[in-house]
Amino acid sequence: MTSNRTRLILKTAAITMVLGGFVGVIGGVVVLRAGWYDISASAQHLQPVYTMLEQALRYSVRHHASDVVVPPLGAAQQVARGALLYSANCAQCHGGPGFAQSKIGQSMQPLPGPLIDANVRWQPRELYWITRHGIKMSGMPAWEFHLSDADLWAVVAFMRVLPTLSARDYAAVTAPALLPATVPEATQAATQAATTPQVAR
Amino acid sequence: MSARVIACGLALALLAGCSEGQGTTGNLQGNPERGRAALAQHACRACHMIPGVSGPETYVGRSLVDLAERRFIAGGLPNNQANLVRWIRNPQAIDPHTAMPAMGVNERDALDMSAWLLQPAN
Repeated sequence: MTSNRTRLILKTAAITMVLGGFVGVIGGVVVLRAGWYDISASAQHLQPVYTMLEQALRYSVRHHASDVVVPPLGAAQQVARGALLYSANCAQCHGGPGFAQSKIGQSMQPLPGPLIDANVRWQPRELYWITRHGIKMSGMPAWEFHLSDADLWAVVAFMRVLPTLSARDYAAVTAPALLPATVPEATQAATQAATTPQVAR
Repeated sequence: MSARVIACGLALALLAGCSEGQGTTGNLQGNPERGRAALAQHACRACHMIPGVSGPETYVGRSLVDLAERRFIAGGLPNNQANLVRWIRNPQAIDPHTAMPAMGVNERDALDMSAWLLQPAN
Protein backbone atom coordinates (compact mmCIF):
# COMPACT_ATOMS: atom_id res chain seq x y z
CA MET A 1 0.00 0.00 0.00
CA THR A 2 2.82 2.41 0.91
CA SER A 3 4.57 1.61 -2.36
CA ASN A 4 1.38 2.41 -4.28
CA ARG A 5 1.09 5.70 -2.47
CA THR A 6 4.76 6.56 -3.10
CA ARG A 7 4.32 5.68 -6.76
CA LEU A 8 1.31 7.99 -7.00
CA ILE A 9 3.22 10.85 -5.39
CA LEU A 10 6.18 10.37 -7.72
CA LYS A 11 3.91 10.13 -10.76
CA THR A 12 2.03 13.30 -9.80
CA ALA A 13 5.27 15.15 -9.17
CA ALA A 14 6.70 14.06 -12.54
CA ILE A 15 3.57 15.03 -14.47
CA THR A 16 3.39 18.38 -12.67
CA MET A 17 7.01 19.10 -13.55
CA VAL A 18 6.53 18.19 -17.21
CA LEU A 19 3.36 20.30 -17.46
CA GLY A 20 5.07 23.19 -15.65
CA GLY A 21 7.99 23.02 -18.05
CA PHE A 22 5.59 22.94 -20.99
CA VAL A 23 3.72 26.01 -19.76
CA GLY A 24 7.07 27.75 -19.20
CA VAL A 25 8.21 27.05 -22.75
CA ILE A 26 4.91 28.31 -24.19
CA GLY A 27 5.15 31.44 -22.07
CA GLY A 28 8.73 32.00 -23.25
CA VAL A 29 7.78 31.58 -26.90
CA VAL A 30 4.88 34.03 -26.51
CA VAL A 31 7.10 36.69 -24.90
CA LEU A 32 9.74 36.14 -27.57
CA ARG A 33 7.38 36.12 -30.53
CA ALA A 34 5.32 39.09 -29.33
CA GLY A 35 8.53 41.14 -29.07
CA TRP A 36 7.83 42.23 -25.52
CA TYR A 37 11.47 42.03 -24.54
CA ASP A 38 13.00 45.53 -24.81
CA ILE A 39 16.20 45.07 -26.80
CA SER A 40 17.17 48.78 -26.74
CA ALA A 41 20.57 49.77 -25.37
CA SER A 42 18.89 52.32 -23.12
CA ALA A 43 16.85 49.66 -21.28
CA GLN A 44 19.05 48.41 -18.46
CA HIS A 45 19.35 44.85 -17.28
CA LEU A 46 17.95 44.32 -13.83
CA GLN A 47 20.86 44.31 -11.39
CA PRO A 48 20.45 40.60 -10.48
CA VAL A 49 20.49 39.70 -14.18
CA TYR A 50 23.61 41.81 -14.75
CA THR A 51 25.31 40.29 -11.73
CA MET A 52 24.49 36.78 -12.90
CA LEU A 53 25.86 37.45 -16.39
CA GLU A 54 28.99 38.99 -14.88
CA GLN A 55 29.49 35.92 -12.69
CA ALA A 56 28.97 33.64 -15.69
CA LEU A 57 31.60 35.63 -17.59
CA ARG A 58 34.05 35.26 -14.73
CA TYR A 59 33.57 31.50 -14.41
CA SER A 60 33.67 30.94 -18.15
CA VAL A 61 36.93 32.86 -18.59
CA ARG A 62 38.49 31.17 -15.57
CA HIS A 63 37.57 27.76 -16.97
CA HIS A 64 38.64 28.34 -20.55
CA ALA A 65 41.88 30.13 -19.70
CA SER A 66 43.04 27.52 -17.22
CA ASP A 67 45.44 25.78 -19.61
CA VAL A 68 46.96 28.88 -21.21
CA VAL A 69 50.73 28.85 -20.82
CA VAL A 70 52.03 32.27 -19.83
CA PRO A 71 55.37 33.36 -21.37
CA PRO A 72 57.76 35.67 -19.50
CA LEU A 73 56.07 39.07 -19.21
CA GLY A 74 57.31 42.54 -18.45
CA ALA A 75 60.41 43.09 -20.59
CA ALA A 76 60.74 46.83 -21.24
CA GLN A 77 60.48 46.40 -25.01
CA GLN A 78 57.36 44.24 -24.68
CA VAL A 79 55.64 46.73 -22.38
CA ALA A 80 56.55 49.61 -24.68
CA ARG A 81 55.04 47.78 -27.64
CA GLY A 82 51.97 46.91 -25.56
CA ALA A 83 51.49 50.60 -24.76
CA LEU A 84 51.35 51.50 -28.44
CA LEU A 85 48.99 48.63 -29.22
CA TYR A 86 46.76 49.61 -26.31
CA SER A 87 46.63 53.21 -27.46
CA ALA A 88 45.84 52.15 -31.03
CA ASN A 89 43.26 49.41 -30.37
CA CYS A 90 41.96 49.41 -26.80
CA ALA A 91 41.77 53.02 -25.60
CA GLN A 92 38.93 53.98 -27.93
CA CYS A 93 36.54 51.74 -26.01
CA HIS A 94 38.24 51.35 -22.62
CA GLY A 95 39.80 54.78 -22.09
CA GLY A 96 42.98 55.20 -20.06
CA PRO A 97 44.53 57.21 -17.24
CA GLY A 98 42.83 60.60 -17.14
CA PHE A 99 40.94 60.27 -20.40
CA ALA A 100 37.62 58.76 -21.36
CA GLN A 101 36.81 56.29 -24.08
CA SER A 102 35.39 57.67 -27.33
CA LYS A 103 31.67 58.26 -27.74
CA ILE A 104 31.28 54.79 -29.24
CA GLY A 105 32.89 53.22 -26.20
CA GLN A 106 30.73 55.31 -23.86
CA SER A 107 27.54 54.27 -25.59
CA MET A 108 28.07 50.53 -25.74
CA GLN A 109 25.92 48.27 -23.58
CA PRO A 110 27.35 46.49 -21.71
CA LEU A 111 29.89 49.22 -21.01
CA PRO A 112 33.49 48.41 -21.82
CA GLY A 113 34.94 48.98 -18.38
CA PRO A 114 38.19 50.72 -17.55
CA LEU A 115 41.25 48.46 -17.62
CA ILE A 116 42.90 50.31 -14.75
CA ASP A 117 41.77 47.49 -12.48
CA ALA A 118 42.07 44.65 -15.00
CA ASN A 119 45.10 43.15 -13.27
CA VAL A 120 43.15 42.98 -10.01
CA ARG A 121 40.20 41.19 -11.61
CA TRP A 122 42.06 38.83 -13.92
CA GLN A 123 45.15 36.67 -14.11
CA PRO A 124 47.48 37.35 -17.07
CA ARG A 125 46.37 34.11 -18.76
CA GLU A 126 42.75 35.26 -18.45
CA LEU A 127 43.52 38.69 -19.90
CA TYR A 128 45.24 36.96 -22.77
CA TRP A 129 42.29 34.63 -23.34
CA ILE A 130 39.77 37.51 -23.28
CA THR A 131 41.86 39.63 -25.64
CA ARG A 132 42.45 36.73 -27.99
CA HIS A 133 38.93 35.29 -28.11
CA GLY A 134 36.75 38.30 -27.30
CA ILE A 135 33.47 38.22 -25.36
CA LYS A 136 30.31 37.17 -27.13
CA MET A 137 27.42 39.69 -27.19
CA SER A 138 29.53 42.35 -25.51
CA GLY A 139 31.23 43.98 -28.46
CA MET A 140 34.68 42.83 -27.32
CA PRO A 141 36.34 41.58 -30.52
CA ALA A 142 38.47 38.46 -30.83
CA TRP A 143 41.86 40.08 -31.47
CA GLU A 144 43.37 36.76 -32.50
CA PHE A 145 42.71 37.62 -36.12
CA HIS A 146 44.04 41.17 -35.92
CA LEU A 147 47.07 40.93 -33.67
CA SER A 148 49.93 38.44 -33.60
CA ASP A 149 50.36 36.21 -30.58
CA ALA A 150 53.40 38.21 -29.45
CA ASP A 151 51.33 41.39 -29.69
CA LEU A 152 48.50 39.87 -27.63
CA TRP A 153 51.00 39.11 -24.88
CA ALA A 154 52.49 42.60 -25.22
CA VAL A 155 49.03 44.07 -24.53
CA VAL A 156 48.66 41.78 -21.50
CA ALA A 157 52.11 42.84 -20.26
CA PHE A 158 51.14 46.50 -20.63
CA MET A 159 47.87 46.02 -18.75
CA ARG A 160 49.90 44.91 -15.73
CA VAL A 161 51.74 48.24 -15.83
CA LEU A 162 48.74 50.41 -16.72
CA PRO A 163 47.42 50.90 -13.15
CA THR A 164 50.73 52.45 -12.10
CA LEU A 165 50.66 55.14 -14.80
CA SER A 166 49.49 58.70 -14.29
CA ALA A 167 47.94 60.57 -17.19
CA ARG A 168 51.34 62.13 -17.90
CA ASP A 169 53.14 58.75 -17.81
CA TYR A 170 50.58 57.29 -20.16
CA ALA A 171 50.99 60.15 -22.62
CA ALA A 172 54.75 59.62 -22.54
CA VAL A 173 54.68 55.88 -23.25
CA THR A 174 52.11 56.18 -26.02
CA ALA A 175 53.68 59.24 -27.64
CA PRO A 176 55.36 57.55 -30.62
CA ALA A 177 52.50 57.71 -33.10
CA LEU A 178 53.92 55.29 -35.66
CA LEU A 179 53.18 51.68 -34.89
CA PRO A 180 55.23 49.11 -36.81
CA ALA A 181 53.23 46.11 -38.04
CA THR A 182 55.03 43.53 -35.90
CA VAL A 183 58.38 43.50 -34.19
CA PRO A 184 60.33 41.31 -36.65
CA GLU A 185 58.68 42.94 -39.65
CA ALA A 186 59.43 46.42 -38.36
CA THR A 187 62.75 46.62 -40.11
CA GLN A 188 61.20 45.30 -43.29
CA ALA A 189 58.49 47.96 -43.13
CA ALA A 190 61.11 50.61 -42.50
CA THR A 191 63.09 49.64 -45.59
CA GLN A 192 59.87 49.52 -47.61
CA ALA A 193 58.94 52.98 -46.35
CA ALA A 194 62.35 54.20 -47.39
CA THR A 195 61.90 53.03 -50.98
CA THR A 196 58.19 53.70 -51.55
CA PRO A 197 56.77 57.10 -50.57
CA GLN A 198 53.77 56.77 -48.24
CA VAL A 199 50.97 59.11 -47.35
CA ALA A 200 51.63 60.79 -44.01
CA ARG A 201 49.13 59.94 -41.29
CA MET B 1 17.48 81.28 -35.28
CA SER B 2 17.54 77.55 -34.64
CA ALA B 3 20.08 78.07 -31.87
CA ARG B 4 17.64 80.46 -30.21
CA VAL B 5 14.83 77.92 -30.49
CA ILE B 6 17.05 75.26 -28.92
CA ALA B 7 18.07 77.67 -26.16
CA CYS B 8 14.42 78.45 -25.45
CA GLY B 9 13.62 74.75 -25.40
CA LEU B 10 16.45 74.11 -22.96
CA ALA B 11 15.34 76.96 -20.74
CA LEU B 12 11.80 75.59 -20.73
CA ALA B 13 13.10 72.12 -19.95
CA LEU B 14 15.13 73.51 -17.07
CA LEU B 15 12.14 75.41 -15.76
CA ALA B 16 10.03 72.28 -16.04
CA GLY B 17 12.75 70.42 -14.17
CA CYS B 18 12.75 73.09 -11.45
CA SER B 19 9.10 72.84 -10.71
CA GLU B 20 9.31 69.04 -10.73
CA GLY B 21 12.32 68.94 -8.44
CA GLN B 22 11.10 71.43 -5.88
CA GLY B 23 8.03 69.41 -5.09
CA THR B 24 9.83 66.35 -3.83
CA THR B 25 13.52 66.97 -3.31
CA GLY B 26 13.91 70.44 -1.85
CA ASN B 27 16.05 72.80 -3.88
CA LEU B 28 17.34 70.37 -6.48
CA GLN B 29 17.03 71.45 -10.09
CA GLY B 30 16.78 69.14 -13.09
CA ASN B 31 15.00 65.92 -13.90
CA PRO B 32 16.37 63.05 -11.81
CA GLU B 33 14.83 60.27 -13.93
CA ARG B 34 16.41 61.68 -17.04
CA GLY B 35 19.63 62.01 -15.08
CA ARG B 36 19.53 58.32 -14.24
CA ALA B 37 19.39 57.45 -17.95
CA ALA B 38 22.16 59.95 -18.71
CA LEU B 39 24.39 58.38 -16.04
CA ALA B 40 24.00 55.03 -17.81
CA GLN B 41 24.65 56.47 -21.27
CA HIS B 42 27.76 58.47 -20.34
CA ALA B 43 29.53 55.40 -19.02
CA CYS B 44 29.61 56.67 -15.41
CA ARG B 45 28.66 53.18 -14.28
CA ALA B 46 31.88 51.72 -15.74
CA CYS B 47 33.80 53.15 -12.76
CA HIS B 48 31.18 54.12 -10.17
CA MET B 49 28.49 52.08 -8.50
CA ILE B 50 25.35 54.19 -8.70
CA PRO B 51 21.94 53.56 -7.11
CA GLY B 52 19.33 52.70 -9.72
CA VAL B 53 21.87 52.09 -12.49
CA SER B 54 22.78 48.45 -13.03
CA GLY B 55 26.28 47.35 -13.91
CA PRO B 56 29.42 45.61 -12.71
CA GLU B 57 30.87 45.48 -9.24
CA THR B 58 33.53 48.14 -9.65
CA TYR B 59 35.78 50.15 -7.38
CA VAL B 60 37.71 52.26 -9.89
CA GLY B 61 35.80 55.38 -8.89
CA ARG B 62 34.12 55.70 -5.52
CA SER B 63 30.61 54.45 -4.97
CA LEU B 64 28.02 57.19 -5.44
CA VAL B 65 25.44 55.41 -3.33
CA ASP B 66 25.49 57.89 -0.45
CA LEU B 67 26.58 60.99 -2.35
CA ALA B 68 23.76 63.09 -0.92
CA GLU B 69 25.15 62.48 2.59
CA ARG B 70 28.69 63.64 1.82
CA ARG B 71 30.07 66.97 3.08
CA PHE B 72 32.61 67.32 0.29
CA ILE B 73 33.04 66.13 -3.27
CA ALA B 74 36.16 65.96 -5.43
CA GLY B 75 38.38 66.07 -2.34
CA GLY B 76 37.50 69.53 -1.06
CA LEU B 77 34.53 71.13 -2.78
CA PRO B 78 31.44 71.70 -0.65
CA ASN B 79 28.85 69.20 -1.80
CA ASN B 80 26.14 71.14 -3.58
CA GLN B 81 24.46 70.84 -6.93
CA ALA B 82 26.36 73.64 -8.65
CA ASN B 83 29.74 72.18 -7.65
CA LEU B 84 28.68 68.68 -8.64
CA VAL B 85 27.66 69.90 -12.09
CA ARG B 86 31.01 71.66 -12.47
CA TRP B 87 32.85 68.51 -11.38
CA ILE B 88 30.90 66.20 -13.71
CA ARG B 89 31.42 68.47 -16.72
CA ASN B 90 35.12 69.14 -16.30
CA PRO B 91 36.91 67.35 -13.45
CA GLN B 92 40.35 68.45 -14.63
CA ALA B 93 39.41 72.10 -14.21
CA ILE B 94 38.94 71.44 -10.49
CA ASP B 95 41.67 68.85 -9.94
CA PRO B 96 44.23 68.60 -12.77
CA HIS B 97 45.55 65.29 -11.41
CA THR B 98 42.25 63.48 -11.04
CA ALA B 99 41.89 60.15 -12.82
CA MET B 100 38.28 60.99 -13.64
CA PRO B 101 38.01 61.97 -17.29
CA ALA B 102 35.74 64.60 -18.79
CA MET B 103 33.00 62.59 -20.51
CA GLY B 104 31.66 65.36 -22.73
CA VAL B 105 28.54 65.85 -20.63
CA ASN B 106 26.49 68.93 -21.50
CA GLU B 107 25.01 71.29 -18.91
CA ARG B 108 21.51 69.86 -19.01
CA ASP B 109 22.65 66.24 -18.68
CA ALA B 110 25.03 67.16 -15.84
CA LEU B 111 22.23 68.97 -14.01
CA ASP B 112 19.89 66.00 -14.40
CA MET B 113 22.63 63.60 -13.28
CA SER B 114 23.29 65.69 -10.19
CA ALA B 115 19.56 65.75 -9.45
CA TRP B 116 19.52 61.93 -9.41
CA LEU B 117 22.74 61.60 -7.41
CA LEU B 118 21.80 64.17 -4.76
CA GLN B 119 18.34 62.78 -4.12
CA PRO B 120 18.07 61.80 -0.47
CA ALA B 121 18.29 58.01 -0.05
CA ASN B 122 14.91 56.43 -0.51
